[in-house]
Amino acid sequence: MLLEIDSLKLLYGRIEALHGISLHVDEGEIVALIGANGAGKTTTMKAISGLHAISGGSIKFEGTDVSRLRADLRVIRGIGQSPEGRGVFPGMTVLENLEMGAYTRRDKAEITKDLAMVFDLFPRLHERRKQAGGTLSGGEQQMLAVGRALMTRPKLLLLDEPSMGLAPKLIQQIFEIITRINEQGTTILLVEQNAQQALSRAHRGYVLETGRIVKEGTGQELLHDPAVKEAYLGVA
Amino acid sequence: MTALRERWHSASSAIGRRVDGLPKSARITGLLAFIAFLYVLPNKWFYEYLNIPGLWIPLYTTRNDMAAVLFYCAWIVLLSLGLNVVVGYAGLLDLGFFGFFAVGAYTVALLTSPESKLITQYNWLESPWPWLVTVPIAIALALLSGVLLGAPTLRLRGDYLAIVTLGFAEMIRIIAKNQDWIFNGDRGIPQVGHPPGKYADGTAIFQFEFKPYYWLLLTVIIIAVFLIRNLANSRVGRAWVAIREDEDAAELMGVPTFRFKLWAFAIGAAVGGLSGSLWAGQANFVNSSTFSLENSILVLAAVLLGGAGSIGGAILGGFLVIYIPEWLRSVGDVFGLPETATVFGNDFDVSPTSLRYFIFGILLIIVMIFRPQGLWPNRRRAAELKDRQKEVAVVE
Repeated sequence: MLLEIDSLKLLYGRIEALHGISLHVDEGEIVALIGANGAGKTTTMKAISGLHAISGGSIKFEGTDVSRLRADLRVIRGIGQSPEGRGVFPGMTVLENLEMGAYTRRDKAEITKDLAMVFDLFPRLHERRKQAGGTLSGGEQQMLAVGRALMTRPKLLLLDEPSMGLAPKLIQQIFEIITRINEQGTTILLVEQNAQQALSRAHRGYVLETGRIVKEGTGQELLHDPAVKEAYLGVA
Repeated sequence: MTALRERWHSASSAIGRRVDGLPKSARITGLLAFIAFLYVLPNKWFYEYLNIPGLWIPLYTTRNDMAAVLFYCAWIVLLSLGLNVVVGYAGLLDLGFFGFFAVGAYTVALLTSPESKLITQYNWLESPWPWLVTVPIAIALALLSGVLLGAPTLRLRGDYLAIVTLGFAEMIRIIAKNQDWIFNGDRGIPQVGHPPGKYADGTAIFQFEFKPYYWLLLTVIIIAVFLIRNLANSRVGRAWVAIREDEDAAELMGVPTFRFKLWAFAIGAAVGGLSGSLWAGQANFVNSSTFSLENSILVLAAVLLGGAGSIGGAILGGFLVIYIPEWLRSVGDVFGLPETATVFGNDFDVSPTSLRYFIFGILLIIVMIFRPQGLWPNRRRAAELKDRQKEVAVVE
């Protein structure tokens, strides 16, 4: 198991946002975490990447407990995240943003190779490589955020709402790229409101409701589950 | 107004492009010529001829000693360079920068003055130490206080940090004012040591004349610029940019954000301490009134006026916040402006001398409206500002 989360609890001030979540991600998988607004999806991501401290439970990565580790050290271990709302560096150019992704790495030759790989996945970023991150369109920023996370060369890639605010055609495109990244060997944990796309691409999925996991199964199982259909897929 | 703004923008960026386009040798020659100009500037035989005949605005108006004005300019420039690392590079709003300046100034004063209570009352020191020896101690203590203040507070973000640093500077000032047992309260510490050095005829270089101090400060500034520039272009500098632009994202790139924020804070504090020790060496007298909040704000204004995140901006801003009020002080003489105006039988003082801070304030407001990124902005900072404006527009 690459990632193993056991009864994870997290407090926002005095309010408990996660009431003991357990989930796991195996190597090579795409796992989707779906749920409504405020269910705790982004919070779970922040707990895994270390942007928010947890109050109970454990997060194991490659068998060792990382739940007390600083966020920047988790990046070095191999947890890369593309944050919600994209979070690209607005004043840096596209290229500088991507180079920032390789901040902890010293292997120049490999960095160049990964840069070529990212430009291959997102030709658009290559066209815009000298443009400031803040001047990109929403879709391009999303690509940049994913590309930048890839530059950390993660073993586990956390994608927080990669389809947020994108046009339907772009959503299709970004999910195709996610599948490609996975086929090239990166394990992915994906948080999505677009449950249809996420579940049809994922090997397995979890349904999160108000800080609890209420359902789990393979992507196809969840996709055809009547309760999931009604709540998240907009089908009666 | 927008048309004017556009024109100003395109004109200023055209100048920037033209300078960038020059060959390296030309740029270096220009820079060296400018530095040489700065070194000869405080000489009367030189600056008196700066008023180019026919030019509408005279560059030099001051009734004061030009060397004194330049010394104060250089002093604020050095402080702006230090604060620019904190505010401009790392994006930490520090409102108490003068606290570190005070730490530096008091350290030098206590160790070099024969009137220091460390000598007269407590016998901790046998005789005053030479100024030069105390400078590294002053820098180290300022750096240490930066780390001590930063370690618990840099986990705070934005406004909270501003309030804590504001409190820190006030604390230092009030301690200096009230702790009579060592700091002598408002009476202060006199006879602070001067920097070493003698002319060929045996008289000391550094006494009460401003010129040598200005040259000393200018030299320190050139060294500081060189060091800060190298730092800004290194991995440390890139980490600062990332933290400033998006702290969470920086952490997700593997940047140890807290450590780099502390670094910026400590470097800023050290420059503040250095500036304090240089200032104490010139002023010969230190008391708490120099460390008022206005001065912290003045340095912050210098950084923002010049353009946060740019070394050239910090220098320009630091120069202008001192030079403009000093220039206004005697501009009335040059143009023969009236000193008072009578309105409904009451006399009002309208001389530029009395109104100089009012006029300066208006100038600052105008600059901030037309050029919120500062006069000589950093390319990135300008883009960030645009990005933020876009966000605000979306929210509206």
